[in-house]
Amino acid sequence: MILTPEQQEIQRLAREFAEKYIIPVAGEYDRTGEFPEFIIEAAKKADLLAMGIPKQFGGRDLDAVTQGVILEELGYGCAGFATILGVNGLGYYAPLLVGTEEQKKLYFAPIVQGGLSAFALTEPGAGSDVSAGKSTAKKVGDEYILNGSKCFITSGAYAKMFTIFALTDPSKGLKGLSAFIVKGGSPGLIVTKHENKLGIRGSNTVELVMQDLQVPASQLLGKEGDGMRIAMACLDMARPMVGSQSVGIAQRALDECLKYFSIKYPDPRKLGQAAQFKLADMRIQIEAARQTVRHALAVKDAGLPITVDSAIAKTMGSDTAMRVTTEALALLGAFGYSHECVVEKLVRDAKIQQLYEGTNQVQRLVIAGQLIASIQPKTATAKAGR
Amino acid sequence: MSYLLTEDQQLVQKNARDFAMQYLEPLAVQLDKTGEFPAEAVKKMASYDFLGWFLPTEFGGADFGYLSYVLGVEELSRASAAVASIVVNHSSAAYAINRWGSAEQKKKYLPALARGEKLGAVAMSEPGPGVGQGPEAVIATQQGGGYALNGRKSYVANAGVADVYVVFGCTDAAAGAKSLAAFLVNAKAEGLEVGPKKSTMGLRARPTADVGFHNVAAEVLGTVEGGAAIAAEVLAAFAVAEAAQTVGVVGVAVQHAAKYAQQRVQFGRPISTFQAIQTMLAEVNTNCYVARLAVYDAAALIEQGKPFTTEAAMVKLFAQRLGMNSLLETLQIEGGYGYSEEMLMSKLFRDVSGTTILESPLEFPEQVIAASIG
Repeated sequence: MILTPEQQEIQRLAREFAEKYIIPVAGEYDRTGEFPEFIIEAAKKADLLAMGIPKQFGGRDLDAVTQGVILEELGYGCAGFATILGVNGLGYYAPLLVGTEEQKKLYFAPIVQGGLSAFALTEPGAGSDVSAGKSTAKKVGDEYILNGSKCFITSGAYAKMFTIFALTDPSKGLKGLSAFIVKGGSPGLIVTKHENKLGIRGSNTVELVMQDLQVPASQLLGKEGDGMRIAMACLDMARPMVGSQSVGIAQRALDECLKYFSIKYPDPRKLGQAAQFKLADMRIQIEAARQTVRHALAVKDAGLPITVDSAIAKTMGSDTAMRVTTEALALLGAFGYSHECVVEKLVRDAKIQQLYEGTNQVQRLVIAGQLIASIQPKTATAKAGR
Repeated sequence: MSYLLTEDQQLVQKNARDFAMQYLEPLAVQLDKTGEFPAEAVKKMASYDFLGWFLPTEFGGADFGYLSYVLGVEELSRASAAVASIVVNHSSAAYAINRWGSAEQKKKYLPALARGEKLGAVAMSEPGPGVGQGPEAVIATQQGGGYALNGRKSYVANAGVADVYVVFGCTDAAAGAKSLAAFLVNAKAEGLEVGPKKSTMGLRARPTADVGFHNVAAEVLGTVEGGAAIAAEVLAAFAVAEAAQTVGVVGVAVQHAAKYAQQRVQFGRPISTFQAIQTMLAEVNTNCYVARLAVYDAAALIEQGKPFTTEAAMVKLFAQRLGMNSLLETLQIEGGYGYSEEMLMSKLFRDVSGTTILESPLEFPEQVIAASIG
């Protein structure tokens, strides 16, 4: 896929943003694990917070391909920063997809004004298996009362707006799951633990407890029981974004190898064949992943079903980031292993891409499930998968 | 494997395991956090003869043979790959002196090294594209009865804590690596300068730094002409011990992941009952088993004084694939929980990245292997 001149210009600006605001400080935030609060203001100025929000609500209304191009550049700078801004998108997808006019106004206004949003689905016992979730939402008068806990919530300590999932009817399992808009800082929404992570250390990851958290009934997204459908639709949109930032990580790793060889070898043409082939393989894999991811996003922009393409894009992107970064580490040896070089950080940052927004095993279940369904005898009704 | 190991070897293995589990494991996380050199642990290991495992008894060693040494390294690595790496780097220097040192040199250096009163290090890598190729290549020039070294070695493990360095330098700047010779250098020698300690992804308790040489007095180890062969053999023996570290870390990681999988319930059952997880565990454990056999085999060849450089190269190549690939899988099994800095798996992941890619002076094992076939 060839980017339009407009997309290329946006790509250039995103690259500039990464070079100016992210790359110079990424190492320090990785070391300390502190949250780079300044990035919210910088991202607001560069109009990176409301990329997918419609213009009438003050957003940029960018198509998915262009958002992916931006995420790739941010991932090139630092996957921790990219995660902050990528998950911000995931947070507001739900109101974007199913919200009423009022709900959209409520949710988008703080984002447009320079706030982050968050997405709270995962629970301690419910990672890949969403159906094991225990958080409940009980309707009392014109309110829902939410109770339970959520874990691994990106930007949870900083977000102004949340999309939170809880069971309105626990007896129905996943069919009783519902989605709610919750304002950050609401009484009863408590941050209990900050995760200290192997990588994407600049991003904020927390455990949340909901203790009699009161949510106006008007903040129910869709209908009661729509939660699973909404969550999956949100993740369908988010997964190619993970693929995009993963491609950015991989590209950075390749560029770091080239930089290293340009310094180490007075004449880079003397680089051995084995290393040359490794560089070529990196380039091949990165380009294949980039096009796969962009294709999935183009499918989305065309308004076509995206679930399988989304799973492919996420898996392809993140597996590529992992392979390319580990290959780069092996090529750079002791230098790459030291904190003098960014490559060891790229390896750590790449690993989470295979884990979050649905592990790559879950993606393979989705992809295989569709394949198996396609060969089932017409009479069979059993669900494929797992 | 046990049927191949003698009772003595099994005893060494058990002693190392007991020490590793009882003493090292409780320390390992703290060592990783602070990155401090574990001086007490090294003293303790010295008192158990771990620093002279394969050195002859006449020089104060335990004379257990190279296979026993490798068994010990594997066990230490299960608790702390950083500490094991200190032992491996030290032992490689001792190996070189024991193998090629003159009677006088052996007497001078080995007893203190064997007793762990002194530590050794091997200095090979240079900032240039290859050893002997850059502007800072270490060049040895004749001076009086001995040699003087000038240049810089990069990423030297045990730098700063070592008392004696085995340094590979070129005796002919124009000839480059073809004129490689081995030298012994006292850490206190005038003109030897250890750079600032490098901060690393893992193996943090093991010091790493550049070492600069400005007219540093050095004595030749073995012969100047035989330098290249010495380098090849030292690094090959080194690679086998390093692979034992990788096997140790992977062995712990796969057990940890299997236990996690048995306890983690998703979709109403432990994830260990899913084929996708079983496939990953089986793949890792099989590779680990095969690598372990290959490591032991190469170590046995070294112990028996047989040619082993090809086997060592194959062990290195296989261990390079084993380490990172295995930890990527075991970490994947433990998901977001394993990704936490506070969990063992993330530390093992950072450590194994080092045991697989560092000390790559044997930079291209494929060449050694390919040339040996036929």
